[in-house]
Amino acid sequence: MAAINAITPKIPLSIRLTTSKSLPTLSFLSLPNTSSFTASNFLSLKHSSSIATTAKLKPRSLSIVSALKKISELDSIALSPENDDSLTSDSGVYAVYNSDGELEFIGLSRNVAASVDSHRKKVPELCSSVKVGVVDDPTKESLTQAWKSWMEEHIAATGKIPPGNETGNTTWFRPPPKKKPDLRLTPGRHVQLTVPLEQLIDRLVKENKVVAFIKGSRNAPACGFSQKVVGILESQGVDYESVDVLDEEYNNGLRETLKSYSNWPTFPQVFAKGELVGGCDILTSMYENGELADLFK
Amino acid sequence: MASRGVMNMGALASRANRMRTKLQSTLEASVLEIEDVSHQHSGHAAMRESEYSGGETHFNLKIVSPKFEGQTLVKRHRMVYDLLSDELQSGLHALSINAKTPQEVAPK
Repeated sequence: MAAINAITPKIPLSIRLTTSKSLPTLSFLSLPNTSSFTASNFLSLKHSSSIATTAKLKPRSLSIVSALKKISELDSIALSPENDDSLTSDSGVYAVYNSDGELEFIGLSRNVAASVDSHRKKVPELCSSVKVGVVDDPTKESLTQAWKSWMEEHIAATGKIPPGNETGNTTWFRPPPKKKPDLRLTPGRHVQLTVPLEQLIDRLVKENKVVAFIKGSRNAPACGFSQKVVGILESQGVDYESVDVLDEEYNNGLRETLKSYSNWPTFPQVFAKGELVGGCDILTSMYENGELADLFK
Repeated sequence: MASRGVMNMGALASRANRMRTKLQSTLEASVLEIEDVSHQHSGHAAMRESEYSGGETHFNLKIVSPKFEGQTLVKRHRMVYDLLSDELQSGLHALSINAKTPQEVAPK
């Protein structure tokens, strides 16, 4: 499990970047000696979660985030293979430091240990130690709020956004999933097919739950009707395959063969479970009357 | 510009009329609207091919027919496509079909 993408909440522009009451910037961060880690980590984790619990009992601490410790109040936990089990798998926020004690990234996660572990596998050189703030009773809002408060604290203290949290930095997140590529029916027009094209179409529509034969690529449909169909499928969150019938190199002859296969003279054509659903008009009308959602269940 | 307009008018009369005749006789349509929207697609790759440059490639159809009763949308569209198969083979490129039964369009 990777960190929940913490980029989404925008840091308010109103945060004061100049700070007179500036905290002693990161000077508290003395990395503990490796040999003494396990015990102290364990303690600091216990500590942070127990603080969170006791704080909730205080009448003035009504919100979850007010129970969250500041970054500056937390001890850092060194990361090494030996203390793998010492991080909490609870939800919370965490700050990752490099070997110079500089904050690289503030993340939030539903499983801090797993997120930190995935960072350490990806960029071990940037993951020297970590501070963890457990968020009790975590919701998306309380986690985001906790993350914001840490970001604000760090920005107030240093005037900088942690490098890993800067827009466009993908070191700490999985890049967003790429759109699927269009499927190709043949290895290329100059390769002799051993199976008739009709059979390839048949196999394709039967082996895939939803297939859209469109003009152009799914990322850039070359015809308004195909574009509309792609838009509908995307909006329904349908996991579909697409085939570009205009691709003369890899789908050579597909248009004519598909027309006769489906006995349907136009494109786009959408198949579900091996059956022709229809073209743009039918998809649109099924989308509008709600039948489409049932079909793709 | 003027001469092109005249030519389109002439072409419209031919294909649209043929379509109307074919659909009307078989489907006994109570509503049959045929709209030539080829101009909206004139930039289309297939449309730049000279043989189709005279327009009459894209139509919107609105048909209300008792023959659609009990038929799925795919079947209704197939009925229309079957009737127009000659046209589809001679340059008719796309049809937007709105196929309803008299009951479906009846005011409730």
